[in-house]
Parts: sequence; C-alpha cells; structure tokens
Amino acid sequence: MLKYSLQRIVYMVIVFMIITCMCFVLIRMLPPAQLPAGDPHTIVIEARREAAGYNKPYMVQFGIFLKDIVTDFNWGVSDKLFFGQDVVKLFSQRMPATVIVNLYSVLFSIPLGIAFGIFAALKKNTWVDYTISTLTMVVISVPNFVYAFIIQYVFSYKLGWLPFLMKSGTDWFSPAMFVSMIPAIMSLGFGTVAAFTRTTRAELTEVLTSEFMLLARTKGLTKAQATVRHALRNCFVVVVPAIIGEFVSILGGSLIIEKIFSIPGVGRLTIDAINAQDYPIFMLTTCFYTAIGLVANLVVDISYGFIDPRIRMGSKK
Amino acid sequence: MKRTLALLLAVLMVVSVFAGCSNKSNTETTAAATAATEATAAADNATYTYKDSVPLLAANWNPHTYQTNDDAYLQTLIQVGFYTFIFNDELNPVEDTEGNVKAPFTGYKFVPEMAASEPVDVTEQVKKDHPEFGIPESATAGYAYTIDLNPNACWEDGTPITADDYVESMKRLLDPEMLNYRASDYYAQSMCIANAESYAKGGTTTYEANADAIADLTKGEDGQYVDTNGKKVYVALGVGCEQLGGEVLKDYVDNYGDQYFDVSKYETLTANENADGVVPLTDETLDALTTLVTGNEAWGETDGSTLPMYLVYAEEWAEVPFENVGLYKSGDYQITMALSKSLAGFNLLYSLTSNWLVKTDLYDECLNKDQKTSTYDTSVETTCSYGPYKLVSFQSGKALRLEKNENWYGWNDGKHVYVDPTDGNTYPMYQTTAIDCQQIEEASTNKMMFLKGELMGYGLTADDFATYRNSEFCHRIPKETLFFLILNGNKSVLDEREAAADFDDTTKDLQTMTLTSFRKAVAVTYDKELFASTISPARSGGYGIIGNTYIYNPETGDTYRSSEQAKQVLCDFYSVDTSKYANLDEAVASITGYDPEAAKELFTEAFNEALEKGYITDKDGDGVSDQVVTIEYCMSADNDFLTKTIDYLNEKMNEVTKGTPFDGKVQFVKSAPYGNDWTNKIKSGLSDTVLAGWTGSKMNPFSLSDLYVNPVYQYDAGWFDATTVDLTLTIDGKELTMNLRQWSDALNGSTVTVNGTDYNFGEGIAEVETRLTILAGIEGKVLQTYDYLPMLQDSSMALLSQQVYYVTEDYNPVMEYGGLPYTRYNYNDAEWAAYIAEQGGQLTY
Repeated sequence: MLKYSLQRIVYMVIVFMIITCMCFVLIRMLPPAQLPAGDPHTIVIEARREAAGYNKPYMVQFGIFLKDIVTDFNWGVSDKLFFGQDVVKLFSQRMPATVIVNLYSVLFSIPLGIAFGIFAALKKNTWVDYTISTLTMVVISVPNFVYAFIIQYVFSYKLGWLPFLMKSGTDWFSPAMFVSMIPAIMSLGFGTVAAFTRTTRAELTEVLTSEFMLLARTKGLTKAQATVRHALRNCFVVVVPAIIGEFVSILGGSLIIEKIFSIPGVGRLTIDAINAQDYPIFMLTTCFYTAIGLVANLVVDISYGFIDPRIRMGSKK
Repeated sequence: MKRTLALLLAVLMVVSVFAGCSNKSNTETTAAATAATEATAAADNATYTYKDSVPLLAANWNPHTYQTNDDAYLQTLIQVGFYTFIFNDELNPVEDTEGNVKAPFTGYKFVPEMAASEPVDVTEQVKKDHPEFGIPESATAGYAYTIDLNPNACWEDGTPITADDYVESMKRLLDPEMLNYRASDYYAQSMCIANAESYAKGGTTTYEANADAIADLTKGEDGQYVDTNGKKVYVALGVGCEQLGGEVLKDYVDNYGDQYFDVSKYETLTANENADGVVPLTDETLDALTTLVTGNEAWGETDGSTLPMYLVYAEEWAEVPFENVGLYKSGDYQITMALSKSLAGFNLLYSLTSNWLVKTDLYDECLNKDQKTSTYDTSVETTCSYGPYKLVSFQSGKALRLEKNENWYGWNDGKHVYVDPTDGNTYPMYQTTAIDCQQIEEASTNKMMFLKGELMGYGLTADDFATYRNSEFCHRIPKETLFFLILNGNKSVLDEREAAADFDDTTKDLQTMTLTSFRKAVAVTYDKELFASTISPARSGGYGIIGNTYIYNPETGDTYRSSEQAKQVLCDFYSVDTSKYANLDEAVASITGYDPEAAKELFTEAFNEALEKGYITDKDGDGVSDQVVTIEYCMSADNDFLTKTIDYLNEKMNEVTKGTPFDGKVQFVKSAPYGNDWTNKIKSGLSDTVLAGWTGSKMNPFSLSDLYVNPVYQYDAGWFDATTVDLTLTIDGKELTMNLRQWSDALNGSTVTVNGTDYNFGEGIAEVETRLTILAGIEGKVLQTYDYLPMLQDSSMALLSQQVYYVTEDYNPVMEYGGLPYTRYNYNDAEWAAYIAEQGGQLTY
C-alpha cells in the first residue's frame, strides 16, 4: 500500500509538471492583448514583455518560472488586472471566501443527502422512495446556477428574507456573514444533496438485500441494528470516498455561483484573469486547479484501502 | 465518545484557522470608517450614501500604471486635476459666440482645482533661460507655462502638497526602469513635456514608422539605407508596421505563405533579421521585400506604392538626466512646464484635467523587490487621497467604500457651490457623504437590487425597454460611436473566393455586391429608426459617418452634427430637397434613409448590370437571378444580438426585394466566430459585412477624417484608395481641388503642397467654418462610396433611483448630467429606508 501510494504521488507530480509546462508554454505563446493601431502605450507593453523575459526561448522561461517558485515561492506579479501585485497574495486573499462557502455547503448537504438516501432505501418501492428518487433526478438534472437565480428571486427579491449578495468584509464567522452566504450555500448544496441521496440509496438498497443481512436478522438483530451495524458500514465503502473527494474539491470553488452572489473567491479571480488576459494569475490558478484535481483523485483512491481493509491496491497477491 | 470529541476538536481547529485568517487591519479600517460615518452623520444630522455597482471593481488606481476604465472609477473621487469642468450658472456665467449669457446648465466652463489660477505663458523666458528644453527659436508662445498651485491642497493626512510633490511624482512616472504605462500620456499625446520621452526611453533603441518615399532614402557607407534625417532604415519584419495597422508582417507571411506573398526571397529577410525583429534595409533586402509584397497579385500591392509603409527607422535614445525634463519647481507652490510641441487654450486646460501626482514617500514604500512595479494605490493602506473622498475600505473583487475627505480644500473654499435652476438656491457640490460600490456582474441581480432601493442606478437591457423607456426616471446617455454596415467592395478578393474549388457559382454569387447600384439599393433598404428600435432600442438611427456627440467647438460645446455644413451634407447624400422645408433642421429631421421604391429600382438596375458583367445568370429567363448574393456577416463571437441583427437584415431585405429580380436572392449569413481577427477578415475582403464604428476624440471630430482615408485605419483600404478620389471645395471664395487624403492631412495640421502652394487647415491655423466645410466634404465623399452604410447612433438608457435626482435633465456631452458633484437627494439614508418600507419593500419605476 505504501509503495502504491508513493508510486501514485510520483505519477501525480509528473502529470502536474507536464500540465504546468503545457499551460505555461501555451500562455507564453499568446500575443499580448491588442491595443488600437498607433496606441502610444504599445511600446511600453512591448518593453515590459521584453523585461519579463517573454522573448527568451520557452523552455528557458519555464526554467526561470520553476526556479522562482522553488527558491522563493514567487509566482510573479499581476501584469494587467492587479498590476504590480503579488499573485500569491491575491490568491490567498480570495481563498477563504471560496473555502468557507463550500465548506458550509458540504456540511449542510452531505448529512441531508445521506439521510434522504437511507430513508429512500428503507422505504424502497413505496411512494416515499418514488418521490425522493424523482426529486433527486430532477435536482441533479438542473445546473446549480438555475437554483441560484430562483433562490435570489424568491428569497431575496420577493420575500426579502435574505440578502442578494454575500456580505463584504472578512468577518467570515459572524452571523451576518453566515446569513448572507445562505443563498450560495443552498444553490451549491442542492446538487450535492441529490447526488448523495442517489448514491446512498443505490448502495444501501443493494446491501439490504444481501445474504449477510438475512444472516444478521436471523441472528436476532432488529432491523435497525442490522441496518446501522452492517448495512450502513458496507454502503459507506462507496459513500465515504465520495465525501472525501467532495471536501477536497471544495477548494476549487464554483465559478458561476461566485459570480452570481458576488463572492470574492478564487473562481471569480480565475475568470477575471482570463477575461483580462492576466497570465501570471491565470498560471497560478491553473496550477492550483490541476493540483486540486490530482490530489482529490489520489486521496479517493488511497482512502478505499483505509475504509475497506479487503481492498489492497497495488498488492501483488 | 472519543471519536465525537476528536471530531469536535477538528471542527474547532478549522474554525480557529479561518478566524485567524480574517484581516485584522481591514476590520480596523471598517471600524474607523464606521466611526467616521457616525461623525459625519452627527455633524449634519443626516447621511447620504450613494450605492453603486460595477461589473468589475477597480484593482489599480495608481495614476502612473492604471490601464482600464474600471480602474479609473476611483480617480475622479480621490484625485483631482489641475483644472476641471463645471456647469455654467449664475455664479459662473458663460457667454455664447454672440456674447449672450447662456441659460444655466446649458454649457460649462473650466475652473482651477489643484491649480490656483490659469497657466501663464512664459515661453520667451524659458526659451532664454533653459536652452536644454529645445524650444524652437521662432516660438513666442505655447511652449512653456508656469502654473500656480492651490496652496490649500493637501493629502488626506493633512500633509500639504507642494511643487516638490509634482516634480518628484513626474520623476517616478517617467522612470526608465519602471516603464510605467501612463508615462507616454505626457510625451506621446497632445501634451508633450520637453525631453520626457528621452528620459523615459534613455539608453534604448526604438523603431518608428518611416515617413519617406523609397526614392528619398540614401545608401550609407555600410550599404544600409538612411532616411532624410540620417536615421538608419529597417524592414519591419518582426515588429508592427504602419501598412498592417501595427501588426507584424512576419506573422502574415508565416500564416498565409505563398497564398498571398511571393516567398521566393523571403529567406533573405529572415536571415538578416536582428534580435529586435527588424532587417537592415540594403539593396538585397529591399529587393527581397519588394518581391515578397508585390510578387503575388493576391496581396493587392503589385505597384509597390506601399513599400515605404513596411519600413521603420531606428531612434536611438541617449540617456538624459531628469534635470533636462521640462518640468521644474519655480516656487514652493509653483511649477513650470516646458513642452516639445505647442499647446494652448482649451486643449492645454483639457490636458491638465488629469494629474500625475503620487505621495512619494508612500509610493517608494510600495515598490516591489524588483523596483519596477509598485503596489501603490491598490488598497486602503497604499492609497492617500487628495480629492473630495477618501478610501476607507476595500475588498478586492468585492466592494469598496469612500467617505468624505475632511482635509479636502473644496469643502470650505466657497467655490464648490452652484445655483439650482429649479429653486434658485445655492447648494454645495457633493451632497453625497459616502459611496458604497459593489462588484455585481449579473444584470438581473442589479435590477432586483435597484427595485428594492439598494442601488442608485440600473442600466436598461434590451428586455427592459418596453417597460421602462417612458419612465420619468429613465435617462438616455448618448455615446460617440456611429455604427455602420461595412460592405465588401474588394473585387479581386471576391473573384478569388468565387474561383475557389468549394464555391458553387451556380447557386451563389459574391461579385454583385461590388456594384454601386446594388450597394445603393442595400443602403436604402433599411429604416434606420426601425432597425434601432428592433434590435437595440436604446440606440437611434444613424445617418452620417460621424456621430451626434462630437464637439467641434469646445468653448461653446457645439457639436459637428449641429453645424450647417454637417446638416447640408446629409441632405445632399439622402437627396432631400431643402427648399421644401423651412430650415435645414427640418430637412434633416425628415431623413429616414429608407426608400423601398428606390431600392426596388436599384435592385433591378443591379440585376441588369450583374447579368451584363456575367456575375450572375438567368438561364430560365424568368427575370430572377439564378444565384443568391450571399453576404457573410463577420462575427467575432456569436450572440443573441447578432442573431437578431442578421434576422432583421434578412427579413427586411426579403420584403424589399419582393417582386424584383433579386426576390429572395440576397441573403446575409453568419461567418465562423473570428474572435479578434474579425478586423483583418473585413479589411482583407475575406468576409463581407459587419456592424462596426469608431469611438474616441470626443472633442475633435476633425481627427475622424483620417479613419476613412488613411489605409492604416481604413476598413476599406483593400479596395478604396483615398488618394485617387478628388474633392473640390470652395475655400475663401476660391475653388481648391485635392484628393481626400490630402484634405484630411491638411485638416489635421499637416502642410500639403498642391500646385506649388502650401495648405494647412489645422486647428488654430484655419477658421473653424473652413474646417467644418472640409470635414463635411470628406464625409460626403466617403458616404458616396457606399462602403459604409450608416445604421445606428450609439446610446444607452438607465434608470435613476427615486432617492436622487439630477440638477439638470438636459444631457451635456461634456458634463453629462453633472455626475456626483451635482447629484441631489430627495431622501437621506434614514428617510429612504422608511420610504422603501412604506412602499412594501419594492419600488415602481
């Protein structure tokens, strides 16, 4: 298992480097944002690109880029959108908002999703199950920004119960901040609730019809005892890695939800950087998303071995 | 139990980490802001908060480096120019050209802000005392000025602003190491400070567009050609060149190769290219360039007349000490500016409405390790205001808050007041006590917040016009751009496109669109007002190629379109019989640009002409074209607006061509999304039409003429050569004939020689009436090419909150509706909250 994990980590680093190199070279090949013909600022832009090393061979540029990161954790300064500002600092300023909104969303939606799933599985083939399953399919089919607009219209505009936008400031755990996050949390959460409901219901339904469950009941366990002690544990082999993956991927944020609710997070920073052709910021956020994706996959794969001792990845036997 | 405890501890740890992450200084700033707000409220017992939204919040408002309009949001609030515009009123009367006092709030005037008085011309003195500034011997005025500074101006912390601050700020702005984006504003635009460019570029070599003919170049000893000023000339292979509108020849050759160029000698050029991307011009490289550009007919430059525009000359900049830059302290509260080209009157004051001032001690602290970039003016801590408001909180990408800067001189100087035309009372400017601005990107969110009273304004979208366009709270904001349909007239490229293997010439045709009769027919097919109201209701119909808001007389604010010459040219182009109308205004008002009967006749004429030339066929003899004239609409990206536009164009085209030989045989089709390449597609004739326009130079409509006659800018440069079209005008009672390019050059200050006589109709040289006549003449000739079919006059519409009102309802192109200084409140914040509650939490507009 240890060897397997180390192997996966090495592969992950290699993949990360390849993606980073590709992005870096492609970005550096792009011309600067076009200025109108005869714009006197053109010469300044050209001179800045020269000074920033844009005219050196791409691999030399990439080497300098890596050296700055390894020796100084220097990802450069923004050259357009936040001119002159350290991109790491900008990024770290945006991270808390993304994490906190998504963390609340996961904390709200996973227990609900699992609870609905269990309930539907236990009431299999009844109207309760049909209702939950149908709603689950409907909710999963609709993208979360649609909920965002509906929630904003109903709860903020018509009823006036919730604010339209996330509150400004950095008092992340104040009651006012939490209330202002509710529309975003709900918008992000519906899909997750539905996904966990469906997964839990499917796994639990299968486990509940297993022979060992019949054995457990014949041993004299009540239905509740058998479900909690045996069925749930087995169905969590699938559900728990999904929870871990969800927790890791929350760092990535939601690009559209952040835009709608004016959440100053990394998702919006990425979109703004792309729109403004601010390449240093784009490189950092791209590397970040790449790393998040790779780490999430790795954590999920490795977690199987811990959750179910029968699974031993990389074992020759 | 242990597990529960462990889980609880983990959650607590996460919570504490985030609590630790929260920005203490920001919290403190917000607390300070709140305290300041309370103090202000206590002082006048009411607060007036302007609640604003922007799609992208400012990120860098450093006057040396800001690049976008989003960044400029803060500048008018925390920074102040030397001079500013204010409305005319009883306190500041303005006279019109006939000496009559204008009605209040119908004009504007300049007043000193960071300056104490108007600039004083000291050209003679500075020329004598400072030969290093290079003021021409013949110059007697317009090259040097002293400006007395406002002695009451200070930073928000109370530190006085003196002449040293201006000089040191300029030194940092022009710093050759910093390469500041805004440095060129002070040497490459209208106000050019002497030696500023030399200081900023010291020790570098730049390549500038060659202005000499090939025959005027001479060969140096080393075999390289030099221009008439003795500067070495190069082929602009890997750098932008004039002929390609600043784009790079090498990119074109690499992309299109022998499709458009003769590449047989291309290697000679690439082999001699130096590290800067230019090729020394020798006999060998000139021959290679000539072969490359003129050797393939597809490129359309076989006569070689454009060769000089592929050349650049080298400008080697010697290092210059800052003492030689034309800005120095001439008193504790006085600076002197020496300019490298003359500037006076309105344009001088207009150039000085901005400011380069930075708080130098804070600026130096904000320099990054590389000493080339700075974080100055990017946060509360790195910002120091000297304007009416100061920044008290800022969250990047989220929100900012400004409150009154109690150290601003304008609160107590008695000058920042005006007389309200409605009640005759005098009020101070800037009633707003605080500004809250949030970044909101969704129009629907903006609208809902506006209707709940949480925002001051809402820009209408196309879906809102039916509901709100007649609201008393709706304001139209005219804009400069006039959108026209550019119609492809590049016959040679169209021939080639038809000759391509995949083109089915039995069902489609392109060449017919080059016929003047066809182009005229298209021009009168569309009702411009109906087009505007259908696809973009905030806009109105457009009829000329120069928009409605361009001001030709900055002193009076008169617009070009309101001049007699501009009205007459429209009447002439649209064949309006002016004798039938009481005056030109009525005649112009009658123009719709829509004449379906004439269009039908012209389509029939075009059909006969196209048949005769063999562009189309009518094999079955039914009198209807066998081919569909297919006009490709050049898209940068697909969107709903374009779909609506093209649907409308096709629908109306089908209506008008009904019963003509082109019945259902003219069709607009979407192109592939070309992105930023769309201009090249249009210019090269590879795509056929697009709705486009020019903007900028709001105070100088005369400069727009260059856009239609200079191939660097022309959309139709591929098929329209302005040097071959003559225009005869009566100037000072005498008829004068020049080609369009010459008229435009002379109009914009160049001396043009015709039949041995020099002509220059530049600003300050020729009478404004003469200049208007020339501009109108050029406009008329360009319209007659039917390369540009005017369609839309740009403008937008916005709702204004019931909490506030504009002092004037009349839009002024310079002052607009007065902006924040003149915004008055119907309700203070507390009253507004109560009013909204009274209305059930939702307002009706």
